[in-house]
Amino acid sequence: MKCLTSNPAARRYYRRFVVTMLLYALTLVLTIRGFIHYHPTGPLAWMLAVLPAIPMIGMLAIFALYLAEEKDEFQRSIGIQAMLCGIGGTLTVTSVWGFLEDFVHIRHLDPMLIFTIFWIFLGLSIPVLLARYR
Amino acid sequence: MKNRLRVLRAEREWSQADLAQRLEVSRQSVNAIETGKFDPSLPLAFKLARLFEIPIEAIFSDEKG
Repeated sequence: MKCLTSNPAARRYYRRFVVTMLLYALTLVLTIRGFIHYHPTGPLAWMLAVLPAIPMIGMLAIFALYLAEEKDEFQRSIGIQAMLCGIGGTLTVTSVWGFLEDFVHIRHLDPMLIFTIFWIFLGLSIPVLLARYR
Repeated sequence: MKNRLRVLRAEREWSQADLAQRLEVSRQSVNAIETGKFDPSLPLAFKLARLFEIPIEAIFSDEKG
Protein backbone atom coordinates (compact mmCIF):
# COMPACT_ATOMS: atom_id res chain seq x y z
CA MET A 1 0.00 0.00 0.00
CA LYS A 2 1.24 3.42 -0.89
CA CYS A 3 0.85 4.96 2.54
CA LEU A 4 2.34 2.07 4.44
CA THR A 5 5.92 2.43 3.43
CA SER A 6 8.70 2.37 5.93
CA ASN A 7 7.71 1.89 9.53
CA PRO A 8 7.91 -1.34 11.56
CA ALA A 9 4.12 -1.86 11.64
CA ALA A 10 3.94 -1.53 7.85
CA ARG A 11 6.86 -3.89 7.34
CA ARG A 12 5.21 -6.46 9.60
CA TYR A 13 1.98 -6.01 7.64
CA TYR A 14 3.74 -6.65 4.32
CA ARG A 15 5.47 -9.75 5.70
CA ARG A 16 2.25 -11.16 7.10
CA PHE A 17 0.41 -10.30 3.91
CA VAL A 18 2.91 -12.24 1.76
CA VAL A 19 2.71 -15.25 4.10
CA THR A 20 -1.10 -15.14 4.04
CA MET A 21 -1.14 -14.90 0.24
CA LEU A 22 1.15 -17.91 0.00
CA LEU A 23 -1.09 -19.82 2.39
CA TYR A 24 -4.09 -18.84 0.28
CA ALA A 25 -2.42 -20.15 -2.88
CA LEU A 26 -1.44 -23.35 -1.08
CA THR A 27 -4.90 -24.02 0.38
CA LEU A 28 -6.54 -23.22 -2.95
CA VAL A 29 -4.34 -25.75 -4.75
CA LEU A 30 -5.04 -28.30 -1.98
CA THR A 31 -8.79 -27.78 -2.28
CA ILE A 32 -8.84 -27.96 -6.07
CA ARG A 33 -6.63 -31.06 -6.17
CA GLY A 34 -8.57 -32.61 -3.29
CA PHE A 35 -11.88 -32.28 -5.13
CA ILE A 36 -10.46 -33.41 -8.49
CA HIS A 37 -8.64 -36.49 -7.18
CA TYR A 38 -10.53 -37.64 -4.06
CA HIS A 39 -14.14 -36.43 -4.56
CA PRO A 40 -14.70 -35.88 -0.82
CA THR A 41 -18.24 -35.89 0.57
CA GLY A 42 -19.96 -34.89 3.80
CA PRO A 43 -18.14 -32.90 6.47
CA LEU A 44 -14.75 -33.47 4.82
CA ALA A 45 -15.99 -31.83 1.61
CA TRP A 46 -17.30 -28.88 3.61
CA MET A 47 -14.01 -28.50 5.46
CA LEU A 48 -11.94 -28.78 2.31
CA ALA A 49 -14.20 -26.31 0.47
CA VAL A 50 -13.82 -23.60 3.10
CA LEU A 51 -10.08 -24.16 3.61
CA PRO A 52 -8.98 -21.29 1.29
CA ALA A 53 -11.36 -18.96 3.11
CA ILE A 54 -9.22 -19.20 6.25
CA PRO A 55 -6.24 -17.26 4.83
CA MET A 56 -8.71 -14.86 3.18
CA ILE A 57 -10.15 -14.07 6.61
CA GLY A 58 -6.54 -13.90 7.79
CA MET A 59 -5.94 -11.04 5.33
CA LEU A 60 -8.61 -9.02 7.10
CA ALA A 61 -7.19 -9.98 10.48
CA ILE A 62 -3.67 -8.87 9.57
CA PHE A 63 -5.02 -5.55 8.29
CA ALA A 64 -6.80 -5.09 11.61
CA LEU A 65 -3.55 -6.02 13.34
CA TYR A 66 -1.72 -3.40 11.29
CA LEU A 67 -4.23 -0.77 12.40
CA ALA A 68 -3.73 -1.81 16.00
CA GLU A 69 0.07 -1.73 15.72
CA GLU A 70 0.46 1.42 13.62
CA LYS A 71 1.79 4.18 15.89
CA ASP A 72 1.51 6.92 13.28
CA GLU A 73 -2.02 8.18 13.80
CA PHE A 74 -2.24 9.81 10.37
CA GLN A 75 -1.32 6.56 8.61
CA ARG A 76 -3.77 4.71 10.86
CA SER A 77 -6.48 7.16 9.90
CA ILE A 78 -5.72 6.61 6.20
CA GLY A 79 -5.89 2.84 6.77
CA ILE A 80 -9.26 3.10 8.53
CA GLN A 81 -10.69 5.41 5.87
CA ALA A 82 -9.42 3.07 3.14
CA MET A 83 -11.13 0.15 4.87
CA LEU A 84 -14.38 2.12 5.01
CA CYS A 85 -14.00 2.93 1.31
CA GLY A 86 -13.47 -0.77 0.66
CA ILE A 87 -16.59 -1.73 2.60
CA GLY A 88 -18.67 1.10 1.11
CA GLY A 89 -17.53 0.39 -2.42
CA THR A 90 -18.19 -3.33 -2.06
CA LEU A 91 -21.67 -2.80 -0.60
CA THR A 92 -22.49 -0.34 -3.35
CA VAL A 93 -21.33 -2.59 -6.19
CA THR A 94 -22.95 -5.74 -4.79
CA SER A 95 -26.24 -3.98 -3.98
CA VAL A 96 -26.50 -2.40 -7.42
CA TRP A 97 -25.49 -5.71 -9.01
CA GLY A 98 -28.13 -7.52 -6.94
CA PHE A 99 -30.92 -5.27 -8.20
CA LEU A 100 -29.66 -5.62 -11.76
CA GLU A 101 -29.61 -9.39 -11.33
CA ASP A 102 -33.16 -9.42 -9.98
CA PHE A 103 -34.76 -7.06 -12.46
CA VAL A 104 -32.63 -7.00 -15.60
CA HIS A 105 -31.30 -10.56 -15.22
CA ILE A 106 -27.66 -9.73 -15.78
CA ARG A 107 -25.01 -12.37 -15.15
CA HIS A 108 -24.86 -13.68 -11.56
CA LEU A 109 -22.04 -12.13 -9.52
CA ASP A 110 -19.81 -14.89 -8.20
CA PRO A 111 -19.56 -14.35 -4.39
CA MET A 112 -15.88 -15.24 -4.67
CA LEU A 113 -15.39 -11.91 -6.42
CA ILE A 114 -16.73 -9.88 -3.51
CA PHE A 115 -13.50 -10.17 -1.53
CA THR A 116 -11.50 -9.04 -4.57
CA ILE A 117 -13.85 -6.09 -5.11
CA PHE A 118 -13.27 -5.06 -1.48
CA TRP A 119 -9.47 -5.04 -1.86
CA ILE A 120 -9.69 -3.20 -5.19
CA PHE A 121 -11.75 -0.42 -3.59
CA LEU A 122 -9.46 -0.34 -0.54
CA GLY A 123 -6.32 -0.20 -2.67
CA LEU A 124 -7.64 2.42 -5.07
CA SER A 125 -8.85 4.63 -2.25
CA ILE A 126 -5.42 5.04 -0.65
CA PRO A 127 -3.82 7.34 -3.27
CA VAL A 128 -7.08 9.31 -3.45
CA LEU A 129 -7.17 9.73 0.33
CA LEU A 130 -3.48 10.69 0.46
CA ALA A 131 -4.03 13.27 -2.30
CA ARG A 132 -6.70 14.93 -0.15
CA TYR A 133 -4.13 15.62 2.57
CA ARG A 134 -1.43 16.99 0.30
CA MET B 1 -7.33 23.70 13.15
CA LYS B 2 -4.84 26.48 12.47
CA ASN B 3 -1.24 25.96 13.57
CA ARG B 4 2.20 27.57 13.50
CA LEU B 5 4.07 24.39 12.77
CA ARG B 6 5.60 25.57 9.51
CA VAL B 7 6.95 28.74 11.16
CA LEU B 8 8.29 26.90 14.20
CA ARG B 9 9.92 24.33 11.98
CA ALA B 10 11.45 27.00 9.75
CA GLU B 11 12.85 28.83 12.81
CA ARG B 12 14.78 25.70 13.67
CA GLU B 13 15.68 25.03 10.04
CA TRP B 14 14.08 21.61 10.19
CA SER B 15 12.66 19.97 7.13
CA GLN B 16 9.34 18.11 7.35
CA ALA B 17 11.36 14.91 7.34
CA ASP B 18 13.47 16.15 10.29
CA LEU B 19 10.36 16.95 12.30
CA ALA B 20 8.76 13.65 11.32
CA GLN B 21 11.82 11.78 12.54
CA ARG B 22 11.76 13.62 15.87
CA LEU B 23 8.06 12.88 16.30
CA GLU B 24 8.43 9.28 15.07
CA VAL B 25 5.74 9.77 12.46
CA SER B 26 5.78 9.88 8.66
CA ARG B 27 6.60 13.01 6.67
CA GLN B 28 3.08 12.78 5.22
CA SER B 29 1.71 13.12 8.76
CA VAL B 30 3.73 16.29 9.38
CA ASN B 31 2.57 17.74 6.08
CA ALA B 32 -1.07 16.89 6.79
CA ILE B 33 -0.89 18.53 10.23
CA GLU B 34 1.02 21.54 8.93
CA THR B 35 -1.52 22.24 6.21
CA GLY B 36 -4.33 22.01 8.77
CA LYS B 37 -5.92 19.07 7.00
CA PHE B 38 -5.31 16.60 9.81
CA ASP B 39 -5.72 17.44 13.47
CA PRO B 40 -3.29 15.58 15.71
CA SER B 41 -4.42 13.72 18.79
CA LEU B 42 -3.80 15.25 22.21
CA PRO B 43 -0.75 13.00 22.87
CA LEU B 44 0.85 14.06 19.57
CA ALA B 45 0.02 17.71 20.24
CA PHE B 46 1.73 17.40 23.64
CA LYS B 47 4.71 15.76 21.97
CA LEU B 48 4.96 18.71 19.58
CA ALA B 49 4.71 21.17 22.45
CA ARG B 50 7.49 19.39 24.33
CA LEU B 51 9.65 19.27 21.22
CA PHE B 52 9.29 23.00 20.55
CA GLU B 53 9.31 23.78 24.30
CA ILE B 54 6.22 25.96 24.08
CA PRO B 55 2.61 25.49 25.26
CA ILE B 56 0.16 23.71 22.97
CA GLU B 57 -1.85 26.94 22.57
CA ALA B 58 1.25 28.59 21.10
CA ILE B 59 1.23 26.01 18.32
CA PHE B 60 -2.46 25.39 17.70
CA SER B 61 -5.48 27.66 17.71
CA ASP B 62 -9.07 26.56 17.22
CA GLU B 63 -9.57 28.94 14.30
CA LYS B 64 -10.20 27.31 10.95
CA GLY B 65 -6.95 26.62 9.12
